Amino acid sequence: MKKQDISRSIEKVDSREKISGAAAFTSDIKLDGMHYAKSVRSPIPRGRIKQVNLPSLPKGYVVVDHRDIPGENVVKMIHDDWPVFPKTEVAYIGEPILLVVGPDKEKVAELADAVEIEFEELEPTFGFTNSAIDLHYDKGDPDRAFETAARTVSYEYETGYQDQAYIEPQGFVGYLDEGTYTLVGSIQCPYYVKNAVLATMAADEDDVRVIQAPVGGAFGGKEEFPSLTATQLAVALRKVQKPIKFIYEREEDMIATTKRHPSKVRMEAALDENNNIQGLRAHVGLDGGAYLGLSGVVLSRGMLAATNAYTIDNVWVDGDVYVTNTVPNGAFRGFGAPQMIFAIEMFIHHVAKEVGEDTYTFRTRHQVSQGDLTSTGGVYRDPIILDEMSKKAEEISDYHRKRKEYEDPDTFKGIGMSWFLHGCGFTGSGEQEKIKARVKLKKDADGTVRILVAAVDMGQGPKTTFRKLVADVLDLPLEQVLFPYPDTRYVPDSGPTVASRTMMVVGGLLARAAKDLKESWREGEVQEAMQRYKQPDYIEWDQDRMKGDAYPAYSWGVNVVEVEVSKVTYEVDIKHVWSVYDLGKAIDERIVLGQADGGQAQGVVGLGYLEVMEHEGGALKQKNLTDYIIPTAVDMPKTENHIMDNPYPLGPYGAKGVGELTLVGGPPAVALAIEQAIGRRVRKAPVTPEYIMELIHNG
Amino acid sequence: MRHIIPKTYREALEHLKSGSLHILAGGTDLMVQNRAWSETPVAFKKDTLYVYNLEELRYIEREGDMLHVGALASYDMLERHPDTPSALKRCIALLASPGLRRVATLAGNIGNASPAADGVLVLYALDARVVLDSADATREIPIEEAITGPGRTAFEDGEMIREIRIPLEDFDSERFKKVGGRKADAISKVSFLGAAAFDGDVIKDLRLALGAVNTTVVRRREIEAQYQGLTAADLKARSQEIREAYAPYVRPIDDQRSTATYRRQVALNLIEDYIHSL
Repeated sequence: MKKQDISRSIEKVDSREKISGAAAFTSDIKLDGMHYAKSVRSPIPRGRIKQVNLPSLPKGYVVVDHRDIPGENVVKMIHDDWPVFPKTEVAYIGEPILLVVGPDKEKVAELADAVEIEFEELEPTFGFTNSAIDLHYDKGDPDRAFETAARTVSYEYETGYQDQAYIEPQGFVGYLDEGTYTLVGSIQCPYYVKNAVLATMAADEDDVRVIQAPVGGAFGGKEEFPSLTATQLAVALRKVQKPIKFIYEREEDMIATTKRHPSKVRMEAALDENNNIQGLRAHVGLDGGAYLGLSGVVLSRGMLAATNAYTIDNVWVDGDVYVTNTVPNGAFRGFGAPQMIFAIEMFIHHVAKEVGEDTYTFRTRHQVSQGDLTSTGGVYRDPIILDEMSKKAEEISDYHRKRKEYEDPDTFKGIGMSWFLHGCGFTGSGEQEKIKARVKLKKDADGTVRILVAAVDMGQGPKTTFRKLVADVLDLPLEQVLFPYPDTRYVPDSGPTVASRTMMVVGGLLARAAKDLKESWREGEVQEAMQRYKQPDYIEWDQDRMKGDAYPAYSWGVNVVEVEVSKVTYEVDIKHVWSVYDLGKAIDERIVLGQADGGQAQGVVGLGYLEVMEHEGGALKQKNLTDYIIPTAVDMPKTENHIMDNPYPLGPYGAKGVGELTLVGGPPAVALAIEQAIGRRVRKAPVTPEYIMELIHNG
Repeated sequence: MRHIIPKTYREALEHLKSGSLHILAGGTDLMVQNRAWSETPVAFKKDTLYVYNLEELRYIEREGDMLHVGALASYDMLERHPDTPSALKRCIALLASPGLRRVATLAGNIGNASPAADGVLVLYALDARVVLDSADATREIPIEEAITGPGRTAFEDGEMIREIRIPLEDFDSERFKKVGGRKADAISKVSFLGAAAFDGDVIKDLRLALGAVNTTVVRRREIEAQYQGLTAADLKARSQEIREAYAPYVRPIDDQRSTATYRRQVALNLIEDYIHSL
């Protein structure tokens, strides 16, 4: 029997339990004798803790703080600057200082309100001044390229905060199971949580168990922050010795958890006498917030995208993470790339305009081709079909005709196009040296196969696609392959659920494990198949100099956005989005289309136009979902998506990364459309009605 | 805190004699303003009178050229009712979300006295009046006297809204514009209602109201009156002058939803654009 194409969609295996409400999320868990934990937070952006005055605590109610930590008072990530509970100083408004824990929620809330903390306020730092991480790379001879330039053009671009706005706020339920700290929560990275708790509790490997509950959205927001809440909860469990539920309210989640980094990017191009870009200089500044967390890695991914889908021979890129007394910023779908791609896409366009060239021709002339060198001197080894993709995008959107028609300023209409790439998997040699992913398949005597990996389904579909993939390789019906929620007691560390690596890397290993299992299949026997990540031999990456192949593969995309701007209210009607993606091969077409719609909602509509978050003296102004505006169904434009097959030899069935790709190119596409509609150069995203008004009136 | 659930309107009025109470109809403002940690009771700071099940106040009735809207008529009921003025229907279609419209009431909107409340904006433009009862008196006041500032009303302790009276008039032109942070389910940055009635080519009634640009809805009858009797063409020729006439009354604020500059500019643009459309 001929097999069906793997891309053909099946019903998502968890749709029914999610739609019916049957799925038990963290907040649905109720345990006997369960206690509740509530954070007491810093009301000031920076200060020394002088004294903590506690109310008198009734029997059964306790306060948990830094003195209760048995191990390191550090949330174990990359840097050691983020305390589990601050001891002497607070660094942002909303920073959790201590926990009040007890059996009755009302009483816990009352006691938490009654905690009085005296501070000595210190001068807070804001803005792009206090650099804590400085990265650099170059390619070719950028100095010479600028010295010999016929002319140079430079611009600066900015993007704002963005909140992940997942439906389900951060949370865990924890309990001690025969002395084992057992944490069930809404997370992306079970082993990040486990490793952080091990360090803080000074515990042995088997003393900590982390289980993923169904996750109501994450988008990067549950990559590093849960390591903080989990370590706090473990410290509380040790003291209280009762099950504890610890879930953030929406406003706590919004003021205290990681956001997308606000950015400032300065770009400078050196042009030769034929208006070709012979050199590019970029400086990428990210506002890291109070603690570094993953900011250095976010900066690095941003910087690596500096040349986006263009080949430029001489490149100089510098970047800084600035520490400020604001909410710590961190992982968010795209991870630094949306900020950079906004800058470079706007810049390419602005350079073309500056030299009086047609923007489309100008881009095409600089477009990357297979065999070209990447921004860091690696090689684009695999076929690139960007030509075909942009032609498709033009054709379905009628781009050229509309672009011409909307040049008439009276139309107040515009059409914009962005081209973009996204590096799949961890940056540099991260997969090989840090993650060392392992996956396992376990076959029972009855032939049931279980997928044992730490990858999390947070809505993006691996519960369905992994089963589909493994069942397909094994020629088994889907029902015979199971994928239970990851539990670190049983699953090996297959790495975090991030960086668009889940299908390409973890799925790739699973496909190989499944092939091994198939070849060694023995009826009636219990069998296991393991696979471990091995970097392809040709990949070479020098982390210190940021040179070589930053990613094993790239996904590609084109977005076209059409808008109409109101002359009266400056509101934008985003009429249509057309997209073409090369993600290797879709493992399930409908799931990929779901990612496309979601990515465009967050990228085109959210980060590009609608979502505004600002702080005033360190206090976020938009701290609930009434004031922080995310798109509704009514705000979504019509979308048309095309997925082009371009299989990647090392991905399962050719699959590359999907999740982030669908977001990263959105903001410049909508910004360029608005730019045309209003006849002004846009240098900031989101392009809000307030900003549009300012541009129209002040140029 | 006491939570009082009266069985009849009379009983509710008797309870109101005891002093200052929250009066909760749909709860779409009060429940949010007094929210508490999930799974714990709402954190009211005053005793609360729950009037939501007083069926005697859940009505919409037409009497000649007057629409009587009971205090418990929801926005959803208003949107479906055949006699609801079209301007109010236009507004309701864009107000909050379908779920909220099922329980939110015009009376609650008045009691909450937000200058950004879209429903209240329409009441200003339509010359609505508010009927207030207390245990031993009744009075009727115009909407602009009922609301005195952000979150402030002219209601005495002991009084509650029984109904809203909306005169039913025909307009030849009507425009409602809500400028929110997004296309649906958003609090207005600016809102506008324009209505006009003509006698042939001559304006006999012009009404302009702006929301979210001052401490209460802005409606200036003296400015409107100046332009009655003009032809549409004359009016359009003076659109800039009308815009400037409103400028002193458009005094918005900067907040987490928008900027004062934007609100001011857009409010005046909306007036000018409406005049041009006549």
